[in-house]
Amino acid sequence: MEILIKAVYILIFPGLLFATVFGLWLAGIDRKLLARMQKRVGPPVLQPTYDFFKLLGKETIIPANAAKVTFLAAPYVGLISLVVTALFIPIGGLQAFGGMADTVVILYLMAIPSLAIIFGGSASGSPFAGVGVSRSMVSIMSYELPLILVLLAVGRAAAYGGYTTFSLEQITVIQQLTGPFLLDWRLIPAAVAMLLVIPCEVGAHPFDVGEAETEICEGPLVEYSGAPLAVFKLSHCIKMFIMTALFTALFLGGVTTGMLWLDVIIALVFCTIVTVVSMTLTHAVMARFRVEQLFKFFWTVVSGLALVSLILVWYV
Amino acid sequence: MIPFLREAVSGLFSKPSTEGYPFVPKEAPAGYRGRIVFHADQCISCGMCERVCAGGAISTTSVETEEGQLITRKFFLGSCTFCNTCADFCVKHAIELTQDYHMVARCEDDLVVTGTYLKKKPVKKAPPAACGQAEEPAAEGPKPREDGLPVQDPAKCVYCTLCAKKCPAGALTVDRAAKTWTLDEDKCIACGTCHDVCPKKCIIM
Amino acid sequence: MFKKLIDNSAAKSPWLFHINAGSCNGCDIELVAVLTPRYDAERLGFKLAGTPRHADIVVVSGPITAQSKDRVVRTIEQVPDPKVVVTLGSCPRSCNVFKGSYSVVGPLDKYVDIDVSIAGCAPKPEAIIDGLALATQILKEKRGAKE
Repeated sequence: MEILIKAVYILIFPGLLFATVFGLWLAGIDRKLLARMQKRVGPPVLQPTYDFFKLLGKETIIPANAAKVTFLAAPYVGLISLVVTALFIPIGGLQAFGGMADTVVILYLMAIPSLAIIFGGSASGSPFAGVGVSRSMVSIMSYELPLILVLLAVGRAAAYGGYTTFSLEQITVIQQLTGPFLLDWRLIPAAVAMLLVIPCEVGAHPFDVGEAETEICEGPLVEYSGAPLAVFKLSHCIKMFIMTALFTALFLGGVTTGMLWLDVIIALVFCTIVTVVSMTLTHAVMARFRVEQLFKFFWTVVSGLALVSLILVWYV
Repeated sequence: MIPFLREAVSGLFSKPSTEGYPFVPKEAPAGYRGRIVFHADQCISCGMCERVCAGGAISTTSVETEEGQLITRKFFLGSCTFCNTCADFCVKHAIELTQDYHMVARCEDDLVVTGTYLKKKPVKKAPPAACGQAEEPAAEGPKPREDGLPVQDPAKCVYCTLCAKKCPAGALTVDRAAKTWTLDEDKCIACGTCHDVCPKKCIIM
Repeated sequence: MFKKLIDNSAAKSPWLFHINAGSCNGCDIELVAVLTPRYDAERLGFKLAGTPRHADIVVVSGPITAQSKDRVVRTIEQVPDPKVVVTLGSCPRSCNVFKGSYSVVGPLDKYVDIDVSIAGCAPKPEAIIDGLALATQILKEKRGAKE
């Protein structure tokens, strides 16, 4: 029975199936609203789903000078680690696997999909992928520092008995008592920093230096086609879901009505709103950062915001 | 960044500026040069269009039959620049560029506009008899010929040679010094270009 | 059911890859116009792909110049099946006014099969939308033919 519930967790509810469906929905909303912001009609909300299924039906080409096994395995490694990450994030108070140090685990697990893209890109043997890989590394380095600072600040705010917490469960419980952290003035800079970290982590437009379509032909994904590309695109959508769900858990958690399913729906609505604010709006109003600009921006402005929050939480 | 933000949010709540084209039909603006329409019945096979075509899109094939030549003129839109030069040069306005822009094809034949017409053999009459009849009313100037070929009025003609220069078929020979105007009846295609260009209006058709 | 889903999606999400094989830029501009808010081809699922590996529809403009010939052929070969080759404007179909030039080795159908030709010099964006819609139809047919 225990195993069956775990299997349901992994395969259906916060796991593979749900993450896929909701991730594709978020990506569809993102594309539709982006188009509306640009005064276009835009694609149907199901467009990312069509893209995904179309790519599944395409031929998979393996370049002659690619490392075949790494090239084909990388997307699946990334997808699996994302599904595992989804299990650790509480959605409306429902957390499949919890522990003492969720945020640290999430931090580690979230690095794997980015690394999978880097490995896949390096294995493809294309010079465009090479450039993209080096840029992806820079973007990982850029967002990791502010993300850690944000997690620390929130953990400190949710401290119980003087100990900074790394448990998302405890963060949710504290928010049920004190109200969402987004309303806490000390944590507002951290929330802004987190909103800027989300698109960088996902690799969405203003911070997509690694996968710049117009410059380096989608960087590490340049040689991918067919099903592996579909899995990478799906990973991108699931990342959107995970990062927005993480934001919801960190800053908008603890909104409770007593009914679990209603809590979950509220959390998903929050996820959608966070996607629109953090990803769609930045995509619509900003041009792409250059690599060194991205690094500078994240290590000064965004990290600075997170640091301000951390100091405020610690001393005020 | 604030103005962009305002623009994006206002775009979110205003009507999109997209046209509904594939679902709503749309007319091309007046004067748009699209698909060629060839009025074969008006063509006089002067070949001017073929000569002036920049893209080499126009070709002609002819089949000899008992009644005359069966001429097929082909316009390959896949090679056309839609410059309108052929239509401009056509003295009979047999070529027309319409506003139809739906020129999409899976095979080459769908992009070809053709027109076929019969060029009848010229009916040759015995020259002395014709001349003899035309002799009497010569005082009022020459009469138009029955087969549609041009006739010159020597009383008005100044032998400027403009008609010979403009003749697409090279059927006219004009000698300024000798003051002669001769027509090669086999070459003449009765297009009327000489009639149109004559500054003295001395060519009758 | 799965196969039907993929078949239906094939016609709804065609990604374009655009090759300029010595075009005068007229057709290129019109193709970009199709993606602007005014014509917004994205509402039909069209997207400009960065690399031939991601593309479904290859749009070629320009007469094939001697320099670009090898690259065009190689790029089209890199597109995974099912794919559709669309010629944009008169040039790739027949070399148009560049016919007979020492540097032009077109037309394109000497080297690859053309599926859809869009005539015009340059074609109106509406005509391009027509052509791309026809191309998605062919894409769907080709998927059916493949399996």
